[in-house]
Amino acid sequence: MLRTFLTAGLCVSAGAFLAAAVTGEDIPARAKKLHFSCIVVDTHDDTTQRFLGGKFDIGERSATGSIDIPRMKEGGLGAIFFSIWIPSKITGPEAVDRAMAQIDAVREQVRKHPKDMTLATTAAEVRGARKQGKIAALIGVEGGHMINANLGVLRSYAALGVRYMTLTHSGNDEWADSSTDKAVHNGLTDFGKDVVREMNRLGVVVDISHVSDKTFYDALEVSKAPLFASHSSCRAICDAARNMTDQMIKDLAAKGGVLQINYHVGFLSQEFRDAEKADPEINKAISAEVTKRCGENEGCQLIEGDRITREYVEQGKLPRVDFSKIIEHIDHAVKVAGVEHVGLGSDFDGANMPYGMEDATKLPKITESLLKKGYSEGDVKKILGENTLRVMTEVERVSRELNSGK
Amino acid sequence: MRRVLAVLCVSPFLCAGLVVSRRASADDIGERAKKLHFSSVVLDTHDDTTQRFFTRDYDLGKRNPDGHVDIPRMREGGMNAIFFSIWIDGRIMGPPAVQKALDQIDAVHENVHRYAKDLVFCRTAAEVREAHKQGKIAALIGVEGGHMIGNDIRVLRMFGDLGVRYMTLSHFYNDEWADSSTDKPVHNGLTDFGKDIVREMNRQGIMVDISHVSDKTFYDALETSKAPLIASHSSCRALCNHVRDMSDDMIKALAAKGGVIQINYERSFIDQAYKDASDKLSGGVVAAFDQFKKECGDDQECLGRKMAEQEKRATAEGKLPHVSWERIVDHIDHAVKLVGADHVGLGSDFDGATMPEGMEDCTKLPRITEALMRKGYSDDDIRKILGGNTLRVMEQTEKVSRELQAQ
Repeated sequence: MLRTFLTAGLCVSAGAFLAAAVTGEDIPARAKKLHFSCIVVDTHDDTTQRFLGGKFDIGERSATGSIDIPRMKEGGLGAIFFSIWIPSKITGPEAVDRAMAQIDAVREQVRKHPKDMTLATTAAEVRGARKQGKIAALIGVEGGHMINANLGVLRSYAALGVRYMTLTHSGNDEWADSSTDKAVHNGLTDFGKDVVREMNRLGVVVDISHVSDKTFYDALEVSKAPLFASHSSCRAICDAARNMTDQMIKDLAAKGGVLQINYHVGFLSQEFRDAEKADPEINKAISAEVTKRCGENEGCQLIEGDRITREYVEQGKLPRVDFSKIIEHIDHAVKVAGVEHVGLGSDFDGANMPYGMEDATKLPKITESLLKKGYSEGDVKKILGENTLRVMTEVERVSRELNSGK
Repeated sequence: MRRVLAVLCVSPFLCAGLVVSRRASADDIGERAKKLHFSSVVLDTHDDTTQRFFTRDYDLGKRNPDGHVDIPRMREGGMNAIFFSIWIDGRIMGPPAVQKALDQIDAVHENVHRYAKDLVFCRTAAEVREAHKQGKIAALIGVEGGHMIGNDIRVLRMFGDLGVRYMTLSHFYNDEWADSSTDKPVHNGLTDFGKDIVREMNRQGIMVDISHVSDKTFYDALETSKAPLIASHSSCRALCNHVRDMSDDMIKALAAKGGVIQINYERSFIDQAYKDASDKLSGGVVAAFDQFKKECGDDQECLGRKMAEQEKRATAEGKLPHVSWERIVDHIDHAVKLVGADHVGLGSDFDGATMPEGMEDCTKLPRITEALMRKGYSDDDIRKILGGNTLRVMEQTEKVSRELQAQ
């Protein structure tokens, strides 16, 4: 059997070789063992919005949404970047005030659950949390509009534990163009470049999800440390401005960066995207229903948006997207840029999840799927979290260098 | 000789004084004071130098021809622990207040970073002691006015996380939840929310500072707080009847809960004749401040210059009396006599107030040590006044915070 296989194996890929080598039976067991022995890092999670209502307790299993401590434990999610987010249209001191309130909300949740979670600001602290059996809570700011064009605010955020900042959200900010707005700055302004330099000095990862292609290339050129795309997928598979072209993924990787795949169905599936475009009334109806259920409550809007979209899928009005699409994007990016440059950036609690990836408990399926595809355990480990930790370590090193060079 | 002394000493207090003053003969006091001063943690709880960080000419690392504080002068004066004050006008509220306060907190951190060879940022008493061991100046942050949290308890916690270790509950004006001593009361002291603020400060390990607040606010805070309080820069009303100072009863009540009054060196807070003349001249400290504010706007450098100029002119014209630095020692001594040496400290108000003659800047601080020694204070008591008492309150505040967070 072995000999026959070897002969046949000469003309098949290494992937096929591995897939054949590990028989169907033991993959789930191996995957489970592997998954729960890795540090699984998710670089983008909107659960913070749920902290603001007052009722949500991350320590209890919630019937809605995708994230809470019991489900993170069940799904082996070991490190999570809580996103600080307010709409792009809110600017100035109010944006700072509201961002601060969210940073506080994250820190308060961590303070209230000291047995399960600990705040982490370095890769070493993430590993330390893991050793203590705790979930590492990290903070990312999703949109440069929240610093009110003020480097002092950026520094305060860093001092409060913020470890990445997405240069824009859906709208342009004062110094960077967004991928989903009309370009006005031709990428990064001079001040925007100073922001990137200051992020390097502070050890805050430059996140280029959401930004325009030109902003991405400007940031890539200016930054002395690797960048990441905390929650973006592959444009070659799904043509959304929020996703990255193969060339961008290659260029990001060439500087040591990581693309963390977003699980949002509208970024994973071209078919889903086309269906949304074909019938704009659907999105309008979903928005109207969300407003009806939630009013201005953004935490509710994000959760209900996902739920109502599901209802439309169930009714056959929108196509059903399976979680295997996530694997497709991971695999594509790995083929384009190598296994060192891909990670996970779910967008849980802030997007529409595919079937089979309803919440954090489903994460082991990614590990299993990758093993089934023939990925080595070492490679899976990198994708699950080590690549992101490597970028953090590198960003910390650059920060130390820049600070000592003063 | 010892026996004779023992017989003479009926009161232990008097006795200690006598022994000390005998042992330290006039000639060697200067040397002994110098040695004591430069081996102690000299901690100043209130300093407005932060405002100067935003001006073009000022450099904390260099000796400046004006103002009261910079690293070379701190070194010369043996001032090795300093609370940089975060302050904006009490009438600025809401998100803009938060934003401006953040700018100032950042400016302190950036200056500490810039002068990392001399300064080290500290959040705890243990860190201050460690800085002292390493020969560095401990930099701490206090927020001077509750208006800067934008009426939002979450911002208070953020300030705590950014290293703020005390907050004065109000400045010259009432804020949303506390009455000021220099405004018309509208809250009858602390509101319920104001009491929540005090409790949250306890939980976060941020010292409750009752300088500037109304008497009723002081008593409300004292009742609510589980940790000792400080008056980061206030003097004694018994010697100078100013609302910014504390009455003897207040000082006693503060001390009974383990707190510390840190004496302010501002002329109009330490000298009655000066205060009276100053009131006549400009209608009081707030009115004078408002007048300069009109002329200078947000330009703090201009504000400081105008204040100094008027001061100089009026003193030269004989409209304001001379005030000697020895008044500072009078206030320390009054408070010590009232509540003991465990409850008095130093809160200069350097770079934010008009200094008495002989205390032109922080290089003059060793004079306080020498003057106390000449008065017969023991080395231990002087160390407490110079900084030990404030460190004790910090430690107790930290302990209360740990207890509350463990609950």
